[in-house]
Amino acid sequence: MQLFDQGKPPLGVLLDCDMGSTIGDPLALALLYGLEGKGEARVISVSIGNSNLNAAAYVDAVMRFYSSAPKTGPFAGFSRSLPVGLGGGKKLNDSPLFTEPLSKNNADGSPLYTRVVHSLSDTAEVSALFRNALTSQYDGNCVVVLSGPATNLAKALDLPGVKELISRKTRLLCVAGGTYPDGPPDFNFQTDVAAAKKLFAEWPATIVALGSETAAQLKFPAASIEKDFAWSPAHPIVDAYRAYRAMPYDAPAGNMAAALYAVHPQEGYFKVSNPGTIAVSDDGSTRFTPSSAGRHRYLIFDPAQEEKLSAAFTNLASAKPTVRAPRVTK
Amino acid sequence: MIITRKALDRRTFLRGVGTAVALPFLDSMVPALALANTVKKPPVRMAFVYVPNGMDMRNWNLNYEGKLGELPRILKPLEPYKDDIIHFGNLTHNGGRALLDGAGDHGRCCASYLTGIQPRKTLVDIKAGVSFDQIVANQIGNQTRFPSLELGLEDARQAGDCDSGYSCAYTNNLAWKSETQPLPPILDPRVLFERMFGNGVAMSPEARARKSKYRRSILDFVTSDTARLESDLGPSDRRKLDEYLSSIRAVEMQLEKAEKDNAQIDPHMDKPYGVPADFAEHFQLMSDMMTIAFQADLTRIITFLVTHEGTSRAYREIGIADGHHPLTHHRNDPVLMEKVAQINSYQLRQFAGWIEKMKATKEGDSTLLENCMIVYGAALADGNRHSHEDLPTIMVGRGGSHFKSGRRIVSRKETPMCNLFLTMMDRMGVHTEHFGDSTGRLDGLDLA
Repeated sequence: MQLFDQGKPPLGVLLDCDMGSTIGDPLALALLYGLEGKGEARVISVSIGNSNLNAAAYVDAVMRFYSSAPKTGPFAGFSRSLPVGLGGGKKLNDSPLFTEPLSKNNADGSPLYTRVVHSLSDTAEVSALFRNALTSQYDGNCVVVLSGPATNLAKALDLPGVKELISRKTRLLCVAGGTYPDGPPDFNFQTDVAAAKKLFAEWPATIVALGSETAAQLKFPAASIEKDFAWSPAHPIVDAYRAYRAMPYDAPAGNMAAALYAVHPQEGYFKVSNPGTIAVSDDGSTRFTPSSAGRHRYLIFDPAQEEKLSAAFTNLASAKPTVRAPRVTK
Repeated sequence: MIITRKALDRRTFLRGVGTAVALPFLDSMVPALALANTVKKPPVRMAFVYVPNGMDMRNWNLNYEGKLGELPRILKPLEPYKDDIIHFGNLTHNGGRALLDGAGDHGRCCASYLTGIQPRKTLVDIKAGVSFDQIVANQIGNQTRFPSLELGLEDARQAGDCDSGYSCAYTNNLAWKSETQPLPPILDPRVLFERMFGNGVAMSPEARARKSKYRRSILDFVTSDTARLESDLGPSDRRKLDEYLSSIRAVEMQLEKAEKDNAQIDPHMDKPYGVPADFAEHFQLMSDMMTIAFQADLTRIITFLVTHEGTSRAYREIGIADGHHPLTHHRNDPVLMEKVAQINSYQLRQFAGWIEKMKATKEGDSTLLENCMIVYGAALADGNRHSHEDLPTIMVGRGGSHFKSGRRIVSRKETPMCNLFLTMMDRMGVHTEHFGDSTGRLDGLDLA
């Protein structure tokens, strides 16, 4: 029986992030797994823009934490453990955000959070990982979320056939970064200005950006960490959150919002700008120029949606991994 | 002092009626006054030895990188040649994966192995890609008698459904001349022998029978050429020539024995005339001729499909009556897994026998093996799960003293196998920026 005789699986999500520089990335990953648990998305590729091996080990631990629930049904074939893509971007110093969870052990001395990333060869080459993940998706059935430097995605664009794959397979790329319609330099874009320029100039499909002006309005509440994750005696997101900064603090949620929008753009969480073109300047700042033929848009904070957004953040990020229901054959 | 000796042409043949025997690399082929740095090096050759249905990875893989220590169980027969081996980790063929095409991993993995392309799922209008051996053959094949040789040991159909809607053309061929034209392997050692030493066209059965009736060796047809050449050679070259011609004669005698045995075993057996009934003997015959083909520079490219993908061949000679493919779906049953390991080891032993001969064959100041890149492996890792990542792959030989061997190189996960192919193409003198799903040259293949 061939899979194309069946209904499409949930939307695939490829996340390229900068794990370690903010708590936003672990929260975004948790949110995506929350969506996966509800059968609304599948995490099909996770890669990191910086080159810190411990950051990759932490991502691996998180992915294994969420993937530990037994898989059944036709999707079982998709549940092979995904390797973590580790880019060759800027060197990121160790952050307690990931070193603290990784340092925790069980009573017998074994790591509290299982992972298999111990050396560079335990991580994946990002371009191949990204391209290969796209090749196994139905047309128009995946999205890409970028919450770090553009290095990895710009490099992937250079592989033969990848632009065509992006056009065919993805619905949109949601970028957490920049300021719109214009503003100061962006930290992630400054890290690799050439890559950011290339990404916005050459990405062959729709880009929706979530800028700092919108992200500044979005918070993940510390109270959720204290109560909503209690179902697990040990949780790698909670441990990262606590280690990142002295509690209690509300965390920036721009990266979560980008992930949420990418999967559910129709939910009305944000207002959306008219089409146009985003260009990156030499200093890493962004400028949006309206244009009816443009493929870029940016998200605009809607105060009326604040409560709904906050509920989505907390409910999804703290969701318990669940067994996927077998796919119904049409 | 006046030195008048002219170098012997590398393309010299011993000729007779319907016979053309190419020569191995001899000292006399080096110009008398050639400076060390102007002496033409022996050519680099490459071969792919493909085994089907994955591997018992517990007994293949190593859990370290760098210098090779004790080899795992399956690779044990190669222990004496450890310093000539590069053991690869994490090489992946994405084109072998389902990618929405559902079942059919055996069909896909074999067709994508050297093409790097996911084949079209079909029984009729087959389509894969030009395999990289043929890209190389197209570029350098005019320098040898045969641009490439495609060999195998197991008779297999070229049409019909061999795996969940994938044509048998996918499971039963490694080399693809074009997107739609696979090159079926030669299975019959006699056919190969006659192609190598005849006039390029296989003899008809009647002609073969006539020749057999008179029990004449091809060497008998080139006696006068041989004598003439020997008179011009020094003692060292005479010895090399004698060893070389003896190896051809040994192959001939094995062929005659196989043909005689076949006639006695079962006149109705479903095997070509010259195919030995015994797997090991068949492997040895073909590998002996592969040695000669490389030694005499008849070709620089060989693909060898040991048995076809998805084969259910039983290995009764080592006490395994179950089919190979069903065994690999062992569901982690230790008894069945042990049988798979035994089959893997048995196949590897035959391969090691070939490597021994390649290593023992001198070529200039080095060995024939030293000037080769021989890749042994499978297009599935775990045959039970049909996994397409971390494919069991070794390279034996250093491509003309080029690669640092005797070690294990573990690439990043998802690294395309085609990256290795791109690097090998460089060594073969064919340069291109992309092949299949390559993302670049293979990292870590340091120079010797």
